[in-house]
Amino acid sequence: MEGLNPYHLQVASFILINVILGVSIYVTLSTGQLSLGNAGFMSIGAYTAALLATRCDLPIPLGIVLGSLLAGAAGVLVGIPSLRLSGVYLAIATLGFGEVIRAVAINWESLTGGAVGIAAIPQMGRVLLSMARELGFPPDRLGMRPNQVVSLLVFLILLAVTALVVAFFLRLGRTRVGRAYEAIRLDERAAAAAGIPVTYYKVLAFSQGAMISGLAGALFAHSTSFISPGDFTYHRAVEILVFAVFGGSGHLLGPVFGASFLTLLPEALRAISHYRYILYGLLLVLMMIYRPQGVVDKPLLRRFREVRPSEDP
Amino acid sequence: MSPLLSLDRIGKAFGGLTALTGITFRVNPGEILGVIGPNGAGKTTLFNVITALVHATEGEVYFDGEAIGGLAPHAVTRRGISRTFQNIRLFPTMSVEENVMVGRHCRSGAGVWRGVLRTRGQREEERAIRDKTRELLDRVGLAGADPLQEAESLPYGHQRRLEIARALAAEPRLLLLDEPVAGMNETETQEVFRLIKRVQSLGVTILLIEHDMSLVMKACDRLVVFNFGRKIAEGTPGTIRDDPQVIEAYLGAGEGPEDA
Repeated sequence: MEGLNPYHLQVASFILINVILGVSIYVTLSTGQLSLGNAGFMSIGAYTAALLATRCDLPIPLGIVLGSLLAGAAGVLVGIPSLRLSGVYLAIATLGFGEVIRAVAINWESLTGGAVGIAAIPQMGRVLLSMARELGFPPDRLGMRPNQVVSLLVFLILLAVTALVVAFFLRLGRTRVGRAYEAIRLDERAAAAAGIPVTYYKVLAFSQGAMISGLAGALFAHSTSFISPGDFTYHRAVEILVFAVFGGSGHLLGPVFGASFLTLLPEALRAISHYRYILYGLLLVLMMIYRPQGVVDKPLLRRFREVRPSEDP
Repeated sequence: MSPLLSLDRIGKAFGGLTALTGITFRVNPGEILGVIGPNGAGKTTLFNVITALVHATEGEVYFDGEAIGGLAPHAVTRRGISRTFQNIRLFPTMSVEENVMVGRHCRSGAGVWRGVLRTRGQREEERAIRDKTRELLDRVGLAGADPLQEAESLPYGHQRRLEIARALAAEPRLLLLDEPVAGMNETETQEVFRLIKRVQSLGVTILLIEHDMSLVMKACDRLVVFNFGRKIAEGTPGTIRDDPQVIEAYLGAGEGPEDA
């Protein structure tokens, strides 16, 4: 069991959280809405879960669910007035929203701990480990060190949640609702004339994106056990957007790939130290020139499907 | 006979530009009513008003006796009015089949959860949507096209038919066709003519904007003529053909004073 390196597991966990964030921006983008507020929604989820766990002693899963729901509710509130905006204007408004949330987190010190943030948030892995110990399953029976077990547990929980989220939206994409999203993205007026309630679906997609961001934030809080406003800055918002731009926003698997690859890349290039971000930037520039639609697009997926036919008729 | 659609003094202004003034006419159930007039006469604006893509600044639209002027576009479609666009507006990267399936939206109901959980009801609904889609593709003459190819890869004439199939998927009682044979050759025009007649025989009332006069004269039961945002004539194709005002609108004033 020496192969289970906690550091590798931690990188894998961050990849998974970023994959969820990639899904969150994809969902809003799938109706043609460009939101840069996902870092803001993420922080709502993270702070809600962290506060419920540290102050109210609520069970972690309940706090995560409530954090996501609150972020989703905020998504409805931001989404409705944002309907009048589109394109860059929507991007700027949502970016502003994210900054407002961060300003609140910095200044409402009695609740959020201000710029210092919240520490000692119960960590999912450690909580599970101590539960296992109380029930009489010490990890040494598996021949693993406690920190290995903790990292492994976090990774497995995140893997399960990520798989659920990805499966949820993959399935949704192939339903009546998914078709409505795509129709709205491609031509809003034609979609309306074809009988689709555009307003409803745009707000729905916006708040689904917000909820998934909140979920990622809540999971992040319980994985790192420490959050501060610095985790949810403008840079995070842009990073999430880059997942979709790099990976491709025409299919859910685009941002999933983008998030995985771009989180892994700087870690894999640690050997060349600070040059790695030059490479990262260079890669993005090259992508914009040679493959502006992102790595994953429909023709690419079709080629994969021809090699290995899917079960659908 | 009570009209299916009735327009009562419809006016539409875009800022200072008046596109429609005092438009009043009725569409009887089962008929094909042609809307003709020179370019810029306000025909497409009228379609946009009826389908609520733009709202009239004056007057009211009644469908089946009820005022529909304040409804959202999807609600109008749900009531039973579908349309096609002058410049084809398909969902280009969605498949042929999906384009029609989107048109089925307002006649189905599975939401997020039923969709994701693939409940029995949802699966049955999807199957029904797919069956109806195949039937419609067949009806508009696209049975031979690959339903899984992207809509934008279809030839032009087929795209027009696909748009009609999408409109029919919503089970309209009134179908608005905006220049359905524009850019088509004689053979394709004849095929669309037969399609329009077939749709009419299924009990769908049709409002048709078209510049192809031989098609208009042959297909329409009645015509209304527009010029400069006003209705200048209304009647059977035979009477319209000889109407001096109509001739003037199309050919320009002949002799006589130029005060028109």
